[in-house]
Amino acid sequence: MMSLGPLAFATPWVLLALAVLPVLIWLLRVVPPAPKRLSFPAIRLLYDLKPRDETSATTPWWLILLRVLLAALVILALAHPLLNPRAQLVGGGPMVLVIDDGWAAGHDWQARQEAADELLAQADRTNRPVILLTTAPNRDGAPGTLNRLRAEEARSQVQALLPKPWPADRQALADWLESQTLPSSAESFWLSDGLDGPGVAALATRLQRLGALTVLEPEGGSLPRLAFPPESGVDGLTATVARAPGIGPSSLWLRAVAADGRILAREQVDFPVGEVAAQKRIVLPTELRNEIARLEIENDSTAGSVALIDERWRRRPVGLVSETSFQASQPLLSELHYLDQALSPFSEVRRGRIEALLERDLAVIVLPDSGALAGPEREALQRWVRNGGVLLRFAGPILSSAVEEGGEQSLVPVPLRQGGRLLGGALSWSQPARLAPFSAASPFHGLAIPADVTVQRQVLAQPSLDLGERTWAALEDGTPLVTAGAEGEGRLVLVHTTASPDWTNLPLSGLFVQMLQRVVALSQGVQGARGDQPLPPVETLDGFGRLTAPSAATQALPPGLEEPRFGPALPPGFYGSDQSRVAVNLAPAIAAVTPMVQLPSGIARLGYERGEEVDLRPFLFTGAMILLLLDLLVSLLLRGLLPMRRARGMAAILALLAGGGLAQPAQAQSDDRFALAASLNTVLAYVRTGDSTVDEASREGLTGLSRALERRTAVEPGEPMGVDIETDELAFFPLLYWPVATSQGGLSPAAIGRVNSYLRTGGTIVFDTRDQGEVGFGGGGPGLQRLQQIAHGLDIPQLEPVPPEHVLTKTFYLMDSFPGRFTGGTVWVERPGGRGNDEVSSVIVGSHDWAAAWAVDQAGRYRYPVVPGGEAQREWAYRFGVNLVMYALTGNYKADQVHVPSILERLGQ
Amino acid sequence: MRQRAEQLAATLPPLLVAAERVASTVAQGVHGRRRVGQGDSFWQFRHYAFGDSARGIDWRQSAKSDHVYVRETEWEAAQSVWLWRDASASMRYRSDRSLPEKAERAELVLLALASLLADSGEQVALLGGLRAPARGRAVLDRLIDELGRTAHDESLPPDIALPRFGATVWIGDFLSPLPEIEAALARYTGRGIRGYMLQILDPAEASLPFNGRVRFDGMEGEASTLITRVDAVRDDYRGRFQAHQDGLKALAQLAGWHYSAHVTDQGPEKALMDLYIGLSQAGDRR
Repeated sequence: MMSLGPLAFATPWVLLALAVLPVLIWLLRVVPPAPKRLSFPAIRLLYDLKPRDETSATTPWWLILLRVLLAALVILALAHPLLNPRAQLVGGGPMVLVIDDGWAAGHDWQARQEAADELLAQADRTNRPVILLTTAPNRDGAPGTLNRLRAEEARSQVQALLPKPWPADRQALADWLESQTLPSSAESFWLSDGLDGPGVAALATRLQRLGALTVLEPEGGSLPRLAFPPESGVDGLTATVARAPGIGPSSLWLRAVAADGRILAREQVDFPVGEVAAQKRIVLPTELRNEIARLEIENDSTAGSVALIDERWRRRPVGLVSETSFQASQPLLSELHYLDQALSPFSEVRRGRIEALLERDLAVIVLPDSGALAGPEREALQRWVRNGGVLLRFAGPILSSAVEEGGEQSLVPVPLRQGGRLLGGALSWSQPARLAPFSAASPFHGLAIPADVTVQRQVLAQPSLDLGERTWAALEDGTPLVTAGAEGEGRLVLVHTTASPDWTNLPLSGLFVQMLQRVVALSQGVQGARGDQPLPPVETLDGFGRLTAPSAATQALPPGLEEPRFGPALPPGFYGSDQSRVAVNLAPAIAAVTPMVQLPSGIARLGYERGEEVDLRPFLFTGAMILLLLDLLVSLLLRGLLPMRRARGMAAILALLAGGGLAQPAQAQSDDRFALAASLNTVLAYVRTGDSTVDEASREGLTGLSRALERRTAVEPGEPMGVDIETDELAFFPLLYWPVATSQGGLSPAAIGRVNSYLRTGGTIVFDTRDQGEVGFGGGGPGLQRLQQIAHGLDIPQLEPVPPEHVLTKTFYLMDSFPGRFTGGTVWVERPGGRGNDEVSSVIVGSHDWAAAWAVDQAGRYRYPVVPGGEAQREWAYRFGVNLVMYALTGNYKADQVHVPSILERLGQ
Repeated sequence: MRQRAEQLAATLPPLLVAAERVASTVAQGVHGRRRVGQGDSFWQFRHYAFGDSARGIDWRQSAKSDHVYVRETEWEAAQSVWLWRDASASMRYRSDRSLPEKAERAELVLLALASLLADSGEQVALLGGLRAPARGRAVLDRLIDELGRTAHDESLPPDIALPRFGATVWIGDFLSPLPEIEAALARYTGRGIRGYMLQILDPAEASLPFNGRVRFDGMEGEASTLITRVDAVRDDYRGRFQAHQDGLKALAQLAGWHYSAHVTDQGPEKALMDLYIGLSQAGDRR
């Protein structure tokens, strides 16, 4: 297999045939095209005719191009090109499948399993045994078995395989393999995690000795990343993440997650070009910061991408030395009260005597104003400070008097002068002193100093050379207010004034809290309960960076182990007890992500992160086939074997298709034509129901009625028109005859809106249910039910049967019933006093199938018999039609006419 | 075919072939000899003379007077016309699908001519056919029958001893070499036979409209020839073609025959008109 980027050729030697192409070009150029063959009766006249200018007939260049392209396509296709090739099994013998299942595998375990699945599927197809080996140390010690598995069994094993939270040990596997006898010829696939490490070359060489070796590795960008345990800063955690080298700028999201899974912070970390590590400060309120249980890289699921956070990074236990652990009766006068209030938001405050406090781990011990400590207490405290503790002392009257007596000079960072300083007292000229801005070297640097913080009394330090260095805070006149000094690994911090408002109002300010916070943050924190005892596992990380219950194989963390050697017995996780957990993180042990660079030569290296393998052969062959057909066509054309008329026919078809696009304007024209036809004349209109029989009857019926109107009245209607209720404009028609066909569907919302507006603006619709012949006992035929469905949503006013004196009974003819093809049904009109509209009912509902009674054919013959019969009934039907049209056209004019006699009578008076 | 031929013939007035004085032909036709003889048309009454057949007496005329009259008819002689069309493979050619094949056109013209001749009472037969000349409409059916049956593969008429002073019409493409045509012609002209040659041509044969590299195949077994650029030899070809036609014309003139050319993209009426004019002139000239 030969690869060119994502493209590979399964049989690359076929590509050599491409060298033949120039020869082909030359041949095609030299050999003229085959002549057309024509039969010709007058051939005798053509004998020995020679063209005067004998130019050699050459194949046109585009034909050469076409044919060369065709040949090239066929050659490429025969070389079996594959896009995103997968490893292919080629040889015989068993397949050795080595899977890196160390911590880095969790990152794209899915891809790895899929790759393994694919390989196993191939092995299954070719019926080859599989030897499955894993590189990460196993719980039972052995790297694997040399059992030859059937592909099916191997597949189930691979599916059960999980990435381990510890590093892979290729060297161990290579050594183990050295000691085993392996099949002499096998094909090996190493699904590697792409990380370099000891034994990579050894393992590769060992596998190569068996036969062909293919290494699958993730691309550089998808190598796992490491999240190191953060550094505790003054106001936040500084997280460090590392990535593989040789990648351009990239970024990742770092999440700070609480123990219950809440995401407390989400920070983007950008790797500058060429950098393998990046740092990010995560600034959080202390309360939230104390809740962080882990830092993890988003979308990365390895044990290395998780940094577990334990007590060391969290709340600092602060010991508050007091004689009693109880609250004083007057808390506002007690220093302890102020300290407690200031410390408790961000740290755990314990109160007690020194001995009691020292029994447990503390980050800071706060010693309020006190005199000389008893010897054992002082020694214990001193020892604790030297071991890394921070002792914060406050001055006060007791300390001051102790200094006066020349005693207490231990456990203070600077020697103190006898006698304090009183500023702004009743007998003093001076004003209480303000604080000077904190110097850059001070841990308090950057804190804002409220203007109203003043100091009235303080103890003074002996001037010395290093006093300035030891000063963390000073008054405006330079007098040190907070001094600090190292004592062993720990620190002594002395605040030269009280922690109560006695000497200063500092404890009342927010600055006091912030200063305490900084001091506490300075402390090393609690190292957890790492004493001399081995720590049992509490929760361990799995290969995907999830905390799980420790497995039985997990052993206790031996004491004093600075660099644990991770393995089945010691996975990363929390050790200790639920109360005091020790986080053992994997990342510091890995230190850096180094991709596998150098492998022995002769190893095929493929990636996981590829698209589906696409076999390009069919496409190329299809292309070649199309070109071949084209060539055939061209050849036929050149040899005159293809009638050109076909081409003309094709052009005509194309023109026809193109012409289809021009049919659009015709619609608009037909709209105009419809409007003109409907408005140039008074036109009776009917609603097309879609039932051709009903529509035809309506048309013929209105035609018949139009003729009757023409003969009998002054109304001369035009040809009746069918109206599509869904699309046509209704406003042109004074009267709309709407036969209800059972096949008609409901109305669309748009149509309902238009019908309603038609009814509102003076239109009249005659609904004809045409079912008088089918009316049952219930009083409603199928047409009525259909009408109810159709009219659902229509703005139909209240109806009533036509009253005896209704205008409809006397607009032209006097009549008291309204027969159509049937008779006997009730005709409903709008209840009077409705909406105006000249008192013309907007809706008339009947069931007499009037149109059928009016219907005449071309010759003027009646189309339908009337039931029960008789020409009198038909005449009455026509009279109703005339009345109906008159009613719709004249409105209440006739109603007023009714009153003419009485008006005349009145006028006569 | 017959219907089309008759439609075609109907567009022309009945064709009278100028009769020729032929001693050997006794068949009667409608060509009045302007003397007494056998015929249908009345010529004159004359007094009965001894020896006249009693059947010749015109009784109506005789009853008008004391003399007995014999009704004499004009001597009418019918012309026999032998028709021939080229049925060789080269006639089954058309350069475009919209055109008829030359053979089709030739048979159409032949039948149309036969129809005209039959209408004017001439005797018609197919040259090389099995039947003797006959007259009447029925001859058309016979001709069609014979056309379908005879398939000569020679492109020139066979040597058949026609009666002297007969007439013949040849319809073909006459693309054979001139000497061959001359030889064929000589066999007929030697017996004093009058003739007419109608050359049916495809437009492609006249103009050679092809382009590019073409291998031409003969239709009657001639060797094929490759022309590398047809457009380059077109003028030469037209020259040769013109020379061939001129040669044909000269041959016809020499023999006293008529010659005309007909291209199939023109209507067949044109060809028929040419024949009509040619046959009439031939009669007038004599």
